[in-house]
Amino acid sequence: MRTWWRDPFRPIAALLGATCLSLAAALALCGSSPQWQVVLVLGGLYALAENQDVRLPNDSSISAGFMLAMAGVVVFRSEGALLGPLLVGLGGGLYLEHLRTRQWAKVVTNSSIFALSSLAAALVFQLIPERAVESIPGQLIAALPIGLTFSLVNFVLLVPVVVAANNTSYRVAARDLWLGDLQIYPFALMGLLLGELYLDLGLWVVPLFVTPIFIARQAFASYLAMRDAQDAALALLVRTLESKDRYTAGHVERVARFSVCMGEEFKFRPGRLERLRYAALMHDIGKLIVPNQILNKPGKLTAEEYERVRLHDAASVTLLGRIDFLAPVVPSLDLAHAPHGSEADVPLEARIIMVADAFDAMTSTRSYRRALSQDVAFAELREKSGGQFDPACVEALVAALGRRGERYGSGHEEQPVEFGAPPPTVGTGSAGLGDLAGESEAVGR
Amino acid sequence: MTGGTRSGWLFASGVVIAVAVWVLGGPGALGEGAVLAGMLAAGELLWLRPDRRTPLPLAFAVMTVIVTMDPWHALVVVFAAEVVVAVVDPHAGAVRVRIARFAERLAEAMSAGAAYQLVHSTEFGTLRAVDLTALAAAAVTPIVLSDLIDRVRRRPWPPLAARSADVAIVAGGILMAVGFQGIAGVGDLGVWGPVLFSVPLLAAWYSFELLASTRRTFEQTVSALADAPELGGLVRGGHAARVADLAEEMGRALDMSPAQLDELRTAALLHHLGAVSLDEPVGGAALDPDDVAAAGADMLRASGVLAPAGEIVAAERLLHRPPGTAPQATGALAGMILKVASAYDELTEGSDVHAQWAVEALYTGPGYVYDGRVLAVLERALERRSDVPV
Repeated sequence: MRTWWRDPFRPIAALLGATCLSLAAALALCGSSPQWQVVLVLGGLYALAENQDVRLPNDSSISAGFMLAMAGVVVFRSEGALLGPLLVGLGGGLYLEHLRTRQWAKVVTNSSIFALSSLAAALVFQLIPERAVESIPGQLIAALPIGLTFSLVNFVLLVPVVVAANNTSYRVAARDLWLGDLQIYPFALMGLLLGELYLDLGLWVVPLFVTPIFIARQAFASYLAMRDAQDAALALLVRTLESKDRYTAGHVERVARFSVCMGEEFKFRPGRLERLRYAALMHDIGKLIVPNQILNKPGKLTAEEYERVRLHDAASVTLLGRIDFLAPVVPSLDLAHAPHGSEADVPLEARIIMVADAFDAMTSTRSYRRALSQDVAFAELREKSGGQFDPACVEALVAALGRRGERYGSGHEEQPVEFGAPPPTVGTGSAGLGDLAGESEAVGR
Repeated sequence: MTGGTRSGWLFASGVVIAVAVWVLGGPGALGEGAVLAGMLAAGELLWLRPDRRTPLPLAFAVMTVIVTMDPWHALVVVFAAEVVVAVVDPHAGAVRVRIARFAERLAEAMSAGAAYQLVHSTEFGTLRAVDLTALAAAAVTPIVLSDLIDRVRRRPWPPLAARSADVAIVAGGILMAVGFQGIAGVGDLGVWGPVLFSVPLLAAWYSFELLASTRRTFEQTVSALADAPELGGLVRGGHAARVADLAEEMGRALDMSPAQLDELRTAALLHHLGAVSLDEPVGGAALDPDDVAAAGADMLRASGVLAPAGEIVAAERLLHRPPGTAPQATGALAGMILKVASAYDELTEGSDVHAQWAVEALYTGPGYVYDGRVLAVLERALERRSDVPV
């Protein structure tokens, strides 16, 4: 018995299940019964839809199940107006994984929450005069309170469950669940329309309605899987670069992060920010053609080695130019060879990445120099503003890091690299490899 | 063309269509005709389409709705919408192309109308069954016609997977038509039907668009990574792409699933990536292939969903060893295909001129190195390429 109460789901499941059962019994005794075959069809589809949900990158999930619950609210309007939606709602909690692993407490909890939410939505629907929902504009308006009621009840019942199950705070649980509920209105509207068509035309309309939604779900799930593959390809690039030069560990990820911060300062839209992040993660791809011995050489580079290093800029542009998604932000090959050319000809994203790259190079310890302080790096960037660097990008970086209160450079390195021979403490360095030979000469190495 | 300009064009199209329908179709048909014509034009101008497919989801689905109108009104709506599209579409190009596409769309819409009328005029069952069958015929016919036109233009036949998009068009189109006119006299939502029921269809197509663009970016990213060892002079130019094409062809002949083919292609493109992470041997000697494969496999295995490709790259090298000296490899068949394809490309130096000699050389190697079944598949693939026996 003591063990029984230790599972946080069981007391909640018992309470919710008992409430649901009592209400169902009361409604069955007091009101009319719904058509059982309709309950089974809609409830089954609800269960199917919930089992086919798609997990989004922000950890919420999206499913068309809610639409079936809303259809139930309309379909049982004349017979079993409250009991019908309640029974259909029970289908929403029948997750195969829980059934297979016999987690009955979770099954009862989820089913009860969906059932009570459907019941509440049906109550609101009953309060709306029938004449008001006869027209399509009326249904458009009615979908809002009905959908919100379902969402609100679902939210209120689910938050304590999530808090108990995940041992998290009410605030965090409420925030996460609220984000997931924002999807609800379009499905509410579609569900009401499905219900109306069902009443007019019968069961055969359901597959017509569900097919495009199911195909959309499959395509969206494939898209999310492909996004994972794309992220894996980027991770592969980062790993390969770090395998060549362990002293630049974390470099491209930091450059991507600084670039995104600067993009936000420029008020980039999400799509443009994503393109900027992607380009920043890939900006050093040309380094793959530089032999490891040259990348890791502790001494001064020969002229021939320096030339091989310089080639990596052109290689980066060549390789990135083959990716359509990045084409708008990759400068032409000629401009890559002459980075001090007209600013107007170089895409803003490329200028942002150039500043982020230089900042990270200066604030990280390298084989040829210890990390500089953030203030020295800012001063260096500002000194070269208007020439090597775009002043607006430099100020965007300063503002972004200032706003976030973040510090980088000497004393603030996340993973300082230990060298056999301590690097010099002077020498600014610059945009990574590009100025390596020049800076080596400047510091007299 | 920016989004704002495109919206402006769409609005202007709607006004022109409304006037045309009002003048030619009569004031009673103005509202519905204008909305349907606008949807048809928007379907064409929004340029939503899945990869390698011609049918336009919204436009083709709206055709199913339009055929339920009076035939003359339907013709006016289609004609007006397609004239506007032919004039304003920024993608269409030369006048000749615009005229050809105008004719194509008109033919597709008329084929839908003809199919609908043909079925509707028969009396094979209940009114509901006749209505539904007629709508299904109207939805399917223009898709079939557009596929036939593509074949005449020698475009490749779309893969089976792309057919799910067609199913969405058919189901969405029928639903929109049912919402518009009802079925057997009930369920009529008027013009709200096609407008509201286009939402799931557009959601499906937006997902297809996202999938296609993400897949393209992924493939190009992998290709860029594959090109790096070649740009660095570590591998012969074009080796990875040629091996990937050949391996994919062989894998298909061996009935590998689409997911396995994707993994094989990724492995083939990246099987030399490990070369860039190794130190160059002193004195200009070549890198040890086992070291290259091991380094590449390790990096792929550690990269989340690309791990299966890493197993294939690892298997390719393990299979070089005599039986009993190598552990059982995961992805063995794919590894054997990759090994044969890569060895063939290295022997022929990228040209099929020496194909016969290369195949003989592969056959005469130690029995455990190259799998006889995979070599036979290679032979058949080469014969298909050259149309002559190797």
